[in-house]
Amino acid sequence: MSRQPTPAAPTLQVEGLSVAVRGGPALLRAVSLTVQPGEVRALVGESGAGKSMIGKAVLGVLPRGIEQTAGSIRLQDTALETLRSAARRQTVAAVASLIPQDPLTALNPSRRIGGQITDRLVRRLGWGAGDAQRRALELLDRVSIRDPERVMAAYPHELSGGMRQRVLIAAAFAPRPSLIVADEPTTALDVTVQKQILTLIRELQAETGTAVLFVTHDMGVVAKISQTVTVLFDGKVMEEAPTAQLLARPSHPYTRALIAATPRYTHPHEPLRPVPDELVARLHQEVAQDDAGFR
Amino acid sequence: MAEATLPGPHTQPRARARRRNLRLWLSAAWLLLVALAAILAPLIAPHDPLAQDLLLERLPPMGLSGAEPGYLLGTDSLGRDVLSRLIYGARIALTVALVAASAACLAGSALGLLAGYFGGWVDRIVSRLVDVWMAFPPVLFSILLVAVLGTGLTSVILAIAIIDWTRFARVVRAETLVQSRMDYVHSARIGGASRLAILAGEVLPNVLPTIVALLALEMGVAVIVEAILSFVNLSISSDSPTWGGMIAEGRASIHFSWWVLAAPLVVLFLTVLAFSQLGEGLKARFDPLMR
Repeated sequence: MSRQPTPAAPTLQVEGLSVAVRGGPALLRAVSLTVQPGEVRALVGESGAGKSMIGKAVLGVLPRGIEQTAGSIRLQDTALETLRSAARRQTVAAVASLIPQDPLTALNPSRRIGGQITDRLVRRLGWGAGDAQRRALELLDRVSIRDPERVMAAYPHELSGGMRQRVLIAAAFAPRPSLIVADEPTTALDVTVQKQILTLIRELQAETGTAVLFVTHDMGVVAKISQTVTVLFDGKVMEEAPTAQLLARPSHPYTRALIAATPRYTHPHEPLRPVPDELVARLHQEVAQDDAGFR
Repeated sequence: MAEATLPGPHTQPRARARRRNLRLWLSAAWLLLVALAAILAPLIAPHDPLAQDLLLERLPPMGLSGAEPGYLLGTDSLGRDVLSRLIYGARIALTVALVAASAACLAGSALGLLAGYFGGWVDRIVSRLVDVWMAFPPVLFSILLVAVLGTGLTSVILAIAIIDWTRFARVVRAETLVQSRMDYVHSARIGGASRLAILAGEVLPNVLPTIVALLALEMGVAVIVEAILSFVNLSISSDSPTWGGMIAEGRASIHFSWWVLAAPLVVLFLTVLAFSQLGEGLKARFDPLMR
C-alpha cells in the first residue's frame, strides 16, 4: 500500500488540542500527545477527564455542540484541520479505525454483519467485493469466531456481547489501518470476556504493527497492553511516560493516587483506596487557575 | 481462547408469534377483500349503486322478514342497494387511504428524518411548524381546508395530507434522533460515509419499521377523515356513494332501517382496525429485533 509512513513520521501527533462545549466549559485543555508507528499508548484518567474526547476529535466524530477550539491533529503527516470535511473524512477512513466502547450499539441492528465489515473496504478504499469478503472472513476467523460465513449473514442481535466486540475488532483491523483508537473496549463486557478481548487486541496489534491509542480508566489494563501512558485529569495532561517507568516511579501525585486506587486481585481483602478528595479539589483549582491565566 | 459460536435464533413464545401472524393475515385478508371489491366494483356489484326504486325502499337484509332475494344487505330509504353502495364506496375510501396517507407519509417522514438527523436550525424550523400545525383542531382544520379548496376527491386527499404529515414528522424525528446518536452512526462516519449516505443507508433502515406502521395506521385515519368529511357533506359529490355519506343518510332513518347505518359502520370499523393491525404486524416483521 502507498500509505506506508516514513519511519520518522509519527502515526498520530496531537498538539495543543483544546475542545469545548460551544459557548461552554472546556473539555480538553491544550493536550499534546504522540503515537509512533506500532506504539500502543494508553490514555488514562477518571470518567469525565476527556480521554474519549481525544479519540473522538481525532476521528472527527465529536458530539453535536462540541468543537475543537485550538490545536492541531496530524494523522501520518496530514494536518486534519487543513482539510475540508469530505477530504478529512476520506483521510480518516483510509488511516484510522475505532474499537468502540459499547458493542451493543456500535453495530447497526437492521443490517447484516458482513456488510458492516466490508462496506468501508468496498466503498471508501476501493476493494473488490470478493477481496473484501475474503478479508472479512479471514479476520472473523482470526478473532476466533466459529462459522464466520454464518456470522456474516447474521444480524447483530443474534450475537452475544462478547461476539459483537470480536466482530467490531475484526471490522477495525479489516482495512489495515495505521491507527486504531480503542475507546474503553472492554468496559461494557463481563470480566472473563474482558481478558479474552484484551489478549485478542494485543495479539492482533503485535501481528499487524498497528499503532493504538488505548483509552481506559484501568491501570491494570494499562500495564498489560501499553508501552507508553498519558495521564489525563480534567482535560489536561498530568504526566506522560513509558508504561514501566510510570508504574514503577510515578512522578505526579495524581498518577500515584490512580495507581494506588487500582484494586489488586492478589489482595482481594484490601480496602479500596479512592483518589483523595483533597487532591482532586486541589487539581481542579490548579486547572481553573491555568484557565484564568490563559484569558 | 474460548470459542465463540452463534446461538440459535432468538427464542420467543411460539404462541405469541402465531397470534401476531394470525392478526397480520386476518387484517391483510380483509383489506384484500375490500381492495378487490373496489377494483371489481362494476363486475361484482349486484345493482347500480345509484338506482332508486321507491317500491323497494327500506328492504331489510337477508334473513329478516320482508327481505327480497337479490338485496343481500337490504336497501336504503330511496330503495338503493346497500351492498352495491358499500362496494362502490370502497373505491373512494381506498383511493383516499392510499394516496393521502402516502403523501402525508412522504412529506412528514422526509422532514422528520432531516430534522432528527441534522438538528440545529432545520430541526427548529420543522419542530415549530409541527407545533403550530398541531394547535389546529384537525377535524375543523380539514373542514376549513375542503371549504377553501372546494369539494372533490383531490381536495379531500390534499386536506388529509396537509393535516396529517405532522404525525409522521413528529414520530420519525424522535426515532431518527435516537438512532443518529447510536455508535454505529459514528462507526459509519469514521468509515468515511457522507452524512446523506448515513441517513439513507444506516439510519433510515432502523426508522423504516416505524414509518411502515405509521403509514398503515394513517391509512385507517384517512378512511375515517374521509368518512367525517362525507358525513358533513363536504367530501365527494353526493352521486358517488361513500361510506361516510351512507352513515350520514343512515343516521336519519335509524328508527326505520338500522341496517342502512350499521352496514357502513361495520365495514368502516373493520377496515380501520385492519389497517392498524396490519401496521403492527408489519412493524414486527420488519424489525429484526422483534422477529
